[in-house]
Amino acid sequence: MKNIITKIFIAAMALFMTVGCSEDFLDAPVPTDAVAPDVIFTSREGVEAFISGIMRRFRGQYTSTDSAGLNSIFYARSLKGNDIIQSNTWFNFDYANDNREPTYRRTSFSWNYCFYMINQANALINGVEASDLAASDKKELSAYGYALRGFFYHQLVLEFCPTYSADKTFPAPPIYTELSLTGGPMSTVDDVYKLIVSDLTKAVDGLTASRLGKSYINKNVAQGILAQVYQVMGNWQGAADNANAAYGGNPTAVLAPASYRSGFADISNVEWIWGSAQRTDQSNYYWNAPASMADHFTTSYSATYINNDFVNKFSATDVRAYFVRKSTSITSTSDYRYWVTRKFTFTFDGDNAIIRTPEMILIEAEAKARITGKETEAHDLLYVLQKNRDVNAVKSTNTGTALIDEILLERRKELYAEVGVEWFDAKRLRKGITRTGNHRIGTAANLTADDKKFYLKIPQAEIDANPFIDESVNANR
Amino acid sequence: MRLKFKWILTLLAALSLQFSFAQEKAISGVVSDNSGPLPGVNIINKSSKVGIQTDFDGKYAIKAKTGDVLVFSFIGMEDKSITVGAATKMNVVLKSSAKSLDEVVIVAYGKQKAKSIVGSVATLGSDVLLKQQATSVMTALQGSVTGVNIIAAGGMPGENPTIRIRGTGSINASSDPLIILDGAPFNGSLNSISSDQIETMSVLKDASSTALYGSRGANGVILITTKRGKFNSAPVVSLTSSVGFSGNAVPLHKLVGSDRYMQLNWEALRNTNQYVNAQTAATAGVNASNNLVSNLGYNPYTAVKPVDANGNLVTTEKKWNTDWADLMLNNSAVRKEHTLSVSAGSEDTKYYFTTNYLSQEGNVVTSKFDRVTTRLSVDTKVNDWLKTGVTMFYSTSDQNFPSQSGSSYQSAIQWIYTVPSIYPAYRVDGNGDLVLDGKGQKIFDYGATTGQALNGNRPTFNNENAYGSLYNYKIGYKRDNYTANGYLELTLAPDLTFKTTLAYDKYLYDSYTYASNEVGYASNVNGRVSQNRNVTTGINLTNALNYRKTFGNHSFGLDLIQEAYKFKLDALGAQGEGFLPRVNVLNGSTTPSSVSGYTAEDRISSYLGRLSYNFKEKYFVEGSYRRDGSSRFSPDVRWGSFYAVGGSWLISEENFLKDNSIVSDLKVRGSYGELGNNQTQDADGNALYFPYKQLFETGYNELDNTGVVLGGAVDPNLTWEKTASTDIGLDFGLFNNRITGTVDYYNKKSVDLIYNKPVPGSTGNTGITTNVGALRNYGWEVTLNSNNIRTPQFTWNTGVNLSFDKNEIAQLTQASFINGNKRWEVGRSLYEFYMQEWAGVDPTDGYAMWYKDELDGSGNKTGAKVTTKKYSEASRNYVGQSSLPNVVGGLTNFFRYKNIDMNILFNFSYGASVYDSTYASLMEGFKSSGRAVHQDIENRWQNPGDITDVPLLLNSNNDFNSQSTRFLFKNDYIRLKALNFGYNFSASAIEKFHLSKLRLYFQGDNLWTYQSHKGIDPEQSFAGATNSRSYNQRVMSFGINLEF
Repeated sequence: MKNIITKIFIAAMALFMTVGCSEDFLDAPVPTDAVAPDVIFTSREGVEAFISGIMRRFRGQYTSTDSAGLNSIFYARSLKGNDIIQSNTWFNFDYANDNREPTYRRTSFSWNYCFYMINQANALINGVEASDLAASDKKELSAYGYALRGFFYHQLVLEFCPTYSADKTFPAPPIYTELSLTGGPMSTVDDVYKLIVSDLTKAVDGLTASRLGKSYINKNVAQGILAQVYQVMGNWQGAADNANAAYGGNPTAVLAPASYRSGFADISNVEWIWGSAQRTDQSNYYWNAPASMADHFTTSYSATYINNDFVNKFSATDVRAYFVRKSTSITSTSDYRYWVTRKFTFTFDGDNAIIRTPEMILIEAEAKARITGKETEAHDLLYVLQKNRDVNAVKSTNTGTALIDEILLERRKELYAEVGVEWFDAKRLRKGITRTGNHRIGTAANLTADDKKFYLKIPQAEIDANPFIDESVNANR
Repeated sequence: MRLKFKWILTLLAALSLQFSFAQEKAISGVVSDNSGPLPGVNIINKSSKVGIQTDFDGKYAIKAKTGDVLVFSFIGMEDKSITVGAATKMNVVLKSSAKSLDEVVIVAYGKQKAKSIVGSVATLGSDVLLKQQATSVMTALQGSVTGVNIIAAGGMPGENPTIRIRGTGSINASSDPLIILDGAPFNGSLNSISSDQIETMSVLKDASSTALYGSRGANGVILITTKRGKFNSAPVVSLTSSVGFSGNAVPLHKLVGSDRYMQLNWEALRNTNQYVNAQTAATAGVNASNNLVSNLGYNPYTAVKPVDANGNLVTTEKKWNTDWADLMLNNSAVRKEHTLSVSAGSEDTKYYFTTNYLSQEGNVVTSKFDRVTTRLSVDTKVNDWLKTGVTMFYSTSDQNFPSQSGSSYQSAIQWIYTVPSIYPAYRVDGNGDLVLDGKGQKIFDYGATTGQALNGNRPTFNNENAYGSLYNYKIGYKRDNYTANGYLELTLAPDLTFKTTLAYDKYLYDSYTYASNEVGYASNVNGRVSQNRNVTTGINLTNALNYRKTFGNHSFGLDLIQEAYKFKLDALGAQGEGFLPRVNVLNGSTTPSSVSGYTAEDRISSYLGRLSYNFKEKYFVEGSYRRDGSSRFSPDVRWGSFYAVGGSWLISEENFLKDNSIVSDLKVRGSYGELGNNQTQDADGNALYFPYKQLFETGYNELDNTGVVLGGAVDPNLTWEKTASTDIGLDFGLFNNRITGTVDYYNKKSVDLIYNKPVPGSTGNTGITTNVGALRNYGWEVTLNSNNIRTPQFTWNTGVNLSFDKNEIAQLTQASFINGNKRWEVGRSLYEFYMQEWAGVDPTDGYAMWYKDELDGSGNKTGAKVTTKKYSEASRNYVGQSSLPNVVGGLTNFFRYKNIDMNILFNFSYGASVYDSTYASLMEGFKSSGRAVHQDIENRWQNPGDITDVPLLLNSNNDFNSQSTRFLFKNDYIRLKALNFGYNFSASAIEKFHLSKLRLYFQGDNLWTYQSHKGIDPEQSFAGATNSRSYNQRVMSFGINLEF
């Protein structure tokens, strides 16, 4: 009997010691590498951490070397034009103007990435507005969210729609201002631009000149984005005012021609208004186009070549005429590999420019050239930049369309391979792009005015999952 | 009172043993089985260690004392131990060890006799395991049991295969089976277990048998039981040693050699000049001749223009001709394995100790796996009501694992199939002469010699050399696994026991990568070292109360079990850049570029019960129920209930069959149950521990500022995925069990799948993990075993097993969606190919054609197909092929003639297709410059009117080798998976060396393969995709096994 008691006692002890409280046992594990929303929206520091995280997502190893953030979208645009040639590697299909079908990677990446960032911006705006932060903090921090949302809606509408002046009623990506798990219906180009202008206006109003670093958005950056938007919309006064405000109004103070040959990898450059910064421990490695593609003098893809015809447009003394031959063994100028550029130096900690002062100067110049009575101002402003870049520059006698064309060419010479300037201008001005020179893929990739190839189809995955969007959305794309 | 009586008996027995010492006498008799006398049976007197064998009439004579234990053993028979008593004449009948319904099978939380099992369990014993060189034990299941589909991991030893039990039951949650090692979930790496330490592996396939692992049993359970000692047995020391060599199991794709490569490349250039750029044939030829070398960047020939304007080779004299496969693949990889084990048992304590050393080189040069595993188990009866035991296991392994599969530049197999023989392994100058370094050594050519116009810039895989990377980079994995598993079993009452089991394991995983400071992808930062150390700790506690009672014809069993499982992952990683040559530890870095670390925990708490009943051991019913709470789900929905019921009827015990001369055993069984799966994971297969919590993720710092981003959308009510499983089975034995077999039909339906439901990308998320969708797997399994010949001299047994699995998507959130080259749609399987159909080559111009659906005026398909030369117009359709085989199985034959035995195992797969993207890339036909081509390219179109399936060669952009049925191949195969041929020395021959067993054997794995599509290993992936995998190895070893 005593024996049985002992045994039962031991068994009971074993059970007691081990069973414990089951719910407590299951509640114990908590995530260690993530934090709850209440940590974020209870202090300005928390919100700034969220903003920093969003800025970091401007680059990332998303799906592929050609889908690595904003830089990939910009570089794909650069390749659609006539000035740059891509060898048969990443971005090959963008270069062929053939990367637009509903199941293709460019289509799904541009869509999903921009909307991912818009969703982050919405979380920021709504989280800040619902918070108990000080009113001044709320205004500035939500303005940051509006700037982001305006910027990414602008990239979306550029990627997926004909330009503003072509068809304002054309179906445009859905508009979201709240977090949502169900899809919304397509909007129109006009709706999207109204939202963009509204968001960026709030952003300009709420932001100040101060910011956490040059990779962040401040008032000047928001004005720069708005200038680009007005440039597309044809609001020339708005474009001129905002561009001027973005660079500060004194062109020579914000130009540093020597820096043009310093590798385009340093965000502290006075010409950079806004960029995406990297560090060795925060690197996108080889996914960092254009530098990882364009630099032929270090270990990387060595994929970017420059069209002979474009090289020939630079005068020898232009600081931007920084081209070299790929190899002395390539003797035929019809070989697409004849010229390479030294504009970009590729390193793992190299930064990318998003908005630079010359672009703003040239937006102001273009806008003024189109405003009656301001043509002289425009011409003078253009010449300031030209003289800055080329000590031997001679002021042209161009007026009217010829002056505008000269400005547009100056934009290409200044900004090639950075932000897709040639494509951006052809698209908004409803012109075609005809490939000339030594292209690897020539006429097959030409773009006519208002060509459907200027925009992408709506991703199949969106059509499949969104009850408001069906196959017919791509019938006219 | 009865207990006391037992004690006294034992004491008396022991005393009588003592008294009867020293009275040696001659024991004789005949050993037979149910077919007659058995010659060559080993008989050992465990006390004196004297061993003899029976003669041709099965007779034996041996000296022994009363109380000595004689062990009779024979291959294919169960060992029999007999204690010598008063008699001097002992006739012994040995029983076949072939499966019968009386065999004991390891099942969930215990053992059962085969006849009482109501579910579907397949068992693999050490007899099968020892006849294969399974570096990862799981590969031994392939071809040996039904219902298990296995794809080996390729040519890197120490990698684990992919295992699916009865199909793929999940889409986004893990479909891997649960592994239970000695009663506890195993968290370490499967490759840390050595196959010769395993007694049995049981595969639990249906709901009833896996129900007690219900929380994680939906994908099936594999129980591994390791060897233990036996009570009352003299110490046995066993030594096994084998040494062998290995090479590719199947031949590689056949590539074009340098001479033909140059000529064909010339042709491609000429064709582009002529047909694309509209040059005259003569001009096109001259230009092609002029541009050939600059197109390739390298010229291995002594002539400046190696191919003339007519496409003829000017010279065959070359300065190099690189056979990358020969350089990079190891066709004489050494495999060594040594095992020492000691086991013994006294009356109340038994132990088993074993240690195993394995060293195996892989398919790719420098790849190697070294492992030492040691295991000790001790069981002891403390008194008549308390038993306790412990198993301790330590395994350490070191794997040198150069990149060999996949699409990184260094990937060895991809390199072999991409870089042609015209590129040098070592750097050459503009004249093609070797460049040596300061010490006179050759330098690996990375194809990126800045400033050297010729022989300095390779168009493919620029700035890499996969052969050099085998030496210049280091990728190594170290694994240390420590497991301690103890139990305490109390007999509370004669029929009531309580057992508590605590299993603890600690697993240290160290992954290390060094990229060279001088060459390759990290040379611009002077090298990089990345090192990650993950420590995982798993604790599993089980308390079980078992009650067994028999009243007359009624037998009851009741198990009440409480279980708690606790898992913790502690990850730490660091990365540094900037190293001096030959410095490759983090201390030497100038820029510490990254640190990382986090912990994650996973817990399950479970309560379960099982009730079983049988009447006259003829009718069996069993039911089980369990509740599990998982920390991966929110408190509101974390508890899941699972159950199973099953029954079986031993028809052969009924009077009308009892003495039937044909049917010896006949049993029908059926089960139904619902099991769970909580194995949430991300797209890369990494576990997600908090899939229901909406969080801001850390680690997104922007320069010096801390950064977080909003994590993906979550479903806070995410809960268990459930699988409802039905199994109906028949077990039979015919002609006194000369023929035995099993047939099973199963139907598994997984509902509430843990599924990444697509949401519109415009919401900022592309998917949300929630419980939707349903998948169904169903099929037949057949096993047949036969003793074809059973004479004293000669035995021949045959076993065959077949599994027919089908898969069907039962419910999705949308009508269909494209997943790579499949389209998932309700009513179809996950594995049906959906792609463009190849329509051949137009004989007039040599261009490729595909089919497109003909549309009528209103845009509907007419059902007819027309050809198109525009790939973008080609329609995608289901092409009637699937990557899921119709049938997989195995065939075993065992022969024994006197002392010689041979076991042959074939495994096979029929009806699957594979999309060979490697072959597709080799059939590119010089579209881009400097890529290797397959010999099949010789069949290309050359002149109008040529009828061929290979388009003309063009050195310009085209879609000829884009995805289509052109590269979709039937992937049937039969493989001679294992052949074991051995000779056992007779006991009389080895007696004088004081050995009780001596066996010499040859073991060959993957010796021969028939495959319907050649060039790749037939085992690629369940999805039927290739990924430049390194080749499975053919291993041939000689071994010796001795015991004393």
